[in-house]
Amino acid sequence: MRIELDRPRCEGHGLCEEAAPSLMHLDDEGELVIDRADVGESEAALAHAAVRVCPVAALRIA
Amino acid sequence: MWRRSRSLEGMTHPPTSDLDLFSDEVLTDPYPSYADLRALGPVVHLPANEVYALTRYDAIRAALGGWETFSSAHGVGFNPTVNEALMGTSLASDPPQHTALRAALTENLSPRALRGLKSQIDAKADALVADLVASGSFEAIDALARALPLEIVADLVGFTGEVRGRMLAWGKAANQVIGPLNQRTAESFPIAGELYQWCSTVSKADLAEGSIGRGIFEAEERGAIPPGAAGPIIHQYLAAGVENTVSAIGNIVALFASHPDQLALVRKDPSLVPAAFNEVLRFWAPINAWGRETTRDVEIEGVVIPAGARVAILFGSGNRDPLHYDDPDTFRVERNPVDHLSLGYGVHGCAGQGLARLEAHAVIDALARRVERLVVGTPTRIPHNVTRSVHALPVLEVVTA
Ligand code: HEM
Ligand code: SF4
Repeated sequence: MRIELDRPRCEGHGLCEEAAPSLMHLDDEGELVIDRADVGESEAALAHAAVRVCPVAALRIA
Repeated sequence: MWRRSRSLEGMTHPPTSDLDLFSDEVLTDPYPSYADLRALGPVVHLPANEVYALTRYDAIRAALGGWETFSSAHGVGFNPTVNEALMGTSLASDPPQHTALRAALTENLSPRALRGLKSQIDAKADALVADLVASGSFEAIDALARALPLEIVADLVGFTGEVRGRMLAWGKAANQVIGPLNQRTAESFPIAGELYQWCSTVSKADLAEGSIGRGIFEAEERGAIPPGAAGPIIHQYLAAGVENTVSAIGNIVALFASHPDQLALVRKDPSLVPAAFNEVLRFWAPINAWGRETTRDVEIEGVVIPAGARVAILFGSGNRDPLHYDDPDTFRVERNPVDHLSLGYGVHGCAGQGLARLEAHAVIDALARRVERLVVGTPTRIPHNVTRSVHALPVLEVVTA
């Protein structure tokens, strides 16, 4: 599975990072960086949690 | 009529209830009524208010995420006059119009833009709480819940002079008129009108240098937002930025006063501050009801809302849905309900939530460091058409940390 970010929609709330710090982080400028977009079975739950908490629905699983 | 009966053929009409969402009792204590509505189903038709109410978590979250079906383009209020007046704001638009307005709103309001403010807000909240704690007794809503957001939003947006003194009354009225055409709405239209009037004439020069408000006018000059869009955005900052935050901060004080054990948990583990704010928002939603309009017949769990219907989103009802939250009527700071509905979700998800978090986290953090227990008198509430807050909360004694 792959995590996709709708970049223009992302406002940098960072809730996704709190849910899945091993997959994404906000950089020093407050821009979201997806460190690993392709995730395996073992991290599927984390990826779904990150997608779920984004308050503006900027993340999705493709 | 023919269209409706044809499209509903073979489909079931949602259950009906004679509840009036905007009666005084329901507005001040909605949770028992919400439980009744949820028991009827995820959608309940309320003829008294001419709306279809969404009552359960999943239905509300799906509606907030599905703007194509649950449109804001005809307004988010419950009377035609306010929906007309809201035209041109991000609130009352769908993508693609919404996308440009939203970008202009958040350019100056996103967590990115607000990063520099955290230390200032923390310092303001801490100084205010320290003073109040030292005074030993105070009225928590005026002295803390209203004082802090007023100052912060006024400075941020660049309001100066006499406008600052009108912000609270304007914000309250602007939200009040979202309701149906009842007496509260009628009495508030003139005051909300003052705000519309002011916002339609305000110019860059009226707002302090370097403020977010000026930034919006500069965006208009650059063509980043349509001509004439700046005024409505300023309107939204005023209407949305103060009253809901006042409500949330008042709720923090009231809920910690009545749940000293929960305050003790945050005192022991300050990393619970964000979780505690999520739980405050879940437990007492600052906004009771908010509108949408269906663009087509839409089926939810076997019942159909017809096209063109007014929908009432009951954030607080979804937040107490036992199908989604375990033991939903208990206030537990360790629950950390990150997916609560009180800030909305999706394209219209609260644009000011970064600022709301900064303010609320600062207040919770200061209270947790300085207070062990608050002894309070009886809180009072005044019914309001869409927002729900504590009107007055006397703190009689502070047991300090
Ligand atoms: C705890 C405090 C707050 C609560 C509970 C709250 C709640 C909400 C909710 C539920 C929505 C969604 C409306 C919809 O779906 O149609 C919203 C949108 C919005 N909020 Fe907040 N809000 C708060 C604080 C703020 C602050 C501090 C500001 C700005 C200074 C703000 C500005 C806005 C704006 C501009 C929108 C419209 C966004 C859009 O249409 O895209 N809010 N808020
Ligand atoms: S939670 Fe959503 S808006 Fe916030 S940083 Fe993550 S993707 Fe962006």
